[in-house]
Amino acid sequence: MGTINSAFSLISGALNADQSALSIAANNVANANTPGYTTEIPNWQENPPVTIGGVSYGDGVTETGPTSLRDRVLEERLGQQQQMASSSSARLTALNSVQALFVPDSGSTSATAGDIGSDITSFFSSFASLEADPTNSSLRQEVLSSATTLAGDVSNAAASLNTQRSAVDQEASGVTSQVNALTGAIAQLNQQIQTTTPDGDAGTLEDQRQQDLSQLSQLIGINQVQTENNGLSVTTTSGQLLVSEGSSFQLTSGPIGGVTNFFVGTTNITSQLASGGGQLGGLLTARDQDIPSAANALDQLAFNVSTQVNALNNAGTDLNGVTGTVANPLNIFSQPAAVAGSAVAMCVVMTNPSQIAAAAAGQGTGDNSNTTAMANLANQNIVGGQTPTGFYSSFVSTLGATVSGVQADNTAQNASVTQLQSQNNALSGVNLNDEAAAMSTLQNSYQAASQVFTMLNTIMESALNLGTETTVS
Amino acid sequence: MRVDPSYVSNLVGSLDQSQANEQQLTAELSSGVSINALSQNPVAAGENVLLLNQIQQDDSFTQSSNLVTGQLQVADSALGDVVSQLTQAISLATSADNGTLNASDIKAVGSQISGILDEVQSLANSSYQGQYIFGGGQTSTTPFTTSTGGSPNATSYNGDQDVNYLSTPNGQKIQLNVPGSQIFLGSGSNSVFAALNSLVADYSSGTVNTTQAVSDTQALSTALGYVSQHRVTVDNSITQLAAASSAVTSSQTQLTGAQTNLMQADVATVSTQLSLAETQQTALEDVIAQLDQASNSLFSKLQ
Repeated sequence: MGTINSAFSLISGALNADQSALSIAANNVANANTPGYTTEIPNWQENPPVTIGGVSYGDGVTETGPTSLRDRVLEERLGQQQQMASSSSARLTALNSVQALFVPDSGSTSATAGDIGSDITSFFSSFASLEADPTNSSLRQEVLSSATTLAGDVSNAAASLNTQRSAVDQEASGVTSQVNALTGAIAQLNQQIQTTTPDGDAGTLEDQRQQDLSQLSQLIGINQVQTENNGLSVTTTSGQLLVSEGSSFQLTSGPIGGVTNFFVGTTNITSQLASGGGQLGGLLTARDQDIPSAANALDQLAFNVSTQVNALNNAGTDLNGVTGTVANPLNIFSQPAAVAGSAVAMCVVMTNPSQIAAAAAGQGTGDNSNTTAMANLANQNIVGGQTPTGFYSSFVSTLGATVSGVQADNTAQNASVTQLQSQNNALSGVNLNDEAAAMSTLQNSYQAASQVFTMLNTIMESALNLGTETTVS
Repeated sequence: MRVDPSYVSNLVGSLDQSQANEQQLTAELSSGVSINALSQNPVAAGENVLLLNQIQQDDSFTQSSNLVTGQLQVADSALGDVVSQLTQAISLATSADNGTLNASDIKAVGSQISGILDEVQSLANSSYQGQYIFGGGQTSTTPFTTSTGGSPNATSYNGDQDVNYLSTPNGQKIQLNVPGSQIFLGSGSNSVFAALNSLVADYSSGTVNTTQAVSDTQALSTALGYVSQHRVTVDNSITQLAAASSAVTSSQTQLTGAQTNLMQADVATVSTQLSLAETQQTALEDVIAQLDQASNSLFSKLQ
């Protein structure tokens, strides 16, 4: 048989439960803008009924604590997509600075400063002009000055590429300390989670761990493996262990061959990180693939143009009747020893325009056949199987296509991140409307419970006073 | 169904994107260039390099051809003068050969022809901008010099057989010079200078060995034929240059048109796009402003 006392205890339990539910709602509202916070819902549990004399009586309600609303699969997918998006975003930033060096010439002015394509044409055209009057000193001077412009622009672009590469390299090595801070934090959170809530959702701690994972995903490509007792192991996408439950392994960096390499323990994981994703992956791809390929194209251009022009100039006779020899070469450009590095080193060494060998060997100084040969280099496949202009044209097309491809990837990946983020927010974000509705409902139920309490109080008074109203109030 | 409670921040993302779009379109309008970065249109950027290369080559050829035309015209006019001088020499020689002139007249003819010889030699040593035009590749050496004292005097050629060509952008080669030896020395004995020198020697004494003089006059006529023949080469080059120049100019016009189409922003299209982008942005701003004014959540309705 239920008693007034049991009704008292039951309704005060309900008041407690409403209070804790209200506090959960209040906490949700308070953390509405906290990054990584997942909305919590109260868990209501019906107390086991009391059976007296074969009759069961309800025993009220208990609020057993908050549960965070999270979807681990969704969170992991979001993390993976973030790795790809931040990788392409870092790569895109680097590529944008690369392509800024090769702005298309609008053609509205006869020669845009710094346009290598125009420089190549001007240089070979200056030989074509010299054909008309091979002894003309102003035309000869024009050859040297257009050569200087070409060499200067190629060398500037190559030097800028080198600068960009080391800037990207520095940025990449700066990521290391952030990664280590995050893996350390995740390991520590793992320990706490495993000791406090080995068999359930760890709530706030779990939020923090998830937030750290999400930040880590933006930096490098990772895989996560759930372990026993709610622990977590984190590896790089190539499988190198970074966090094993309560312990973390430091990512270290050091220079090899002038660029930063990355290690876990003694294992060099630089190339795996490059393909792994995250900001570091994007930076390493730009550093080891995109920038070197642009630099290599410039090197090839510089090497072949310098070598071929020098060879022809040495094969002819200059205005003084001199033909170049091994000991005293008539080089227009500084002769590069190897393809690598020839773009940065490209410069004009000839100072006297009379040394341009316009005439073929053994011919009079009025002959123009060697000039014709040098002008014809413009139409010969001397650079990577293409004409110098054709090579430069394919180079800018390829570079532009790479940038545009990465741009498209990045846009798609960002859209996908936004979509997943939306899905995740829809589930885990604090929806103030929901909270308002919950507060309102809880307010009503709290008011109802307290009303019941007051009524029970009155009933209890009546019972104690045995109908007389004044003794106890 | 639950929705993403932070949808306003997504709208702000769209607003950023639409603003970036507007910036890009404004840049296109103000610069008049539709491609400001390679990635906007990689194929066009590559094509642009090739087009500009051809345009610049054409431009440079036009300049060269102006320079060369001057030189060829000087050569042509020099050869024209040579032809008229030689014609005069032949007519003088013919009159001297027919036996009607007395000794002093014949001497006078001899000295006139000697004068013509000097004139022809100076024409053969014509220069353009300080360079001898009939010396082959030896443009800084006087091509023809006469050593006096012999009978007849001997005129020697100091140049070489070198011929220069100017290449047009489409690969055609135009001959720029004719070596003086081909024009004035002819083949074998048909040398302008040998004939003139012999005639001068023939008439110097006042008595004429008619057989010799007639044969020398004949040689001069043949030599004149050679000169005229090579003058045609020079004239041909002038004609070819003019034709090539006009072909290049018209190709340049077409290429410039193509390049402009490729790179220049189409103002009408860009303006329309800009206006669309502006409308979109205004709409987005209005939506965000409305959401801001409207009660942010149910809380504002609760008492």
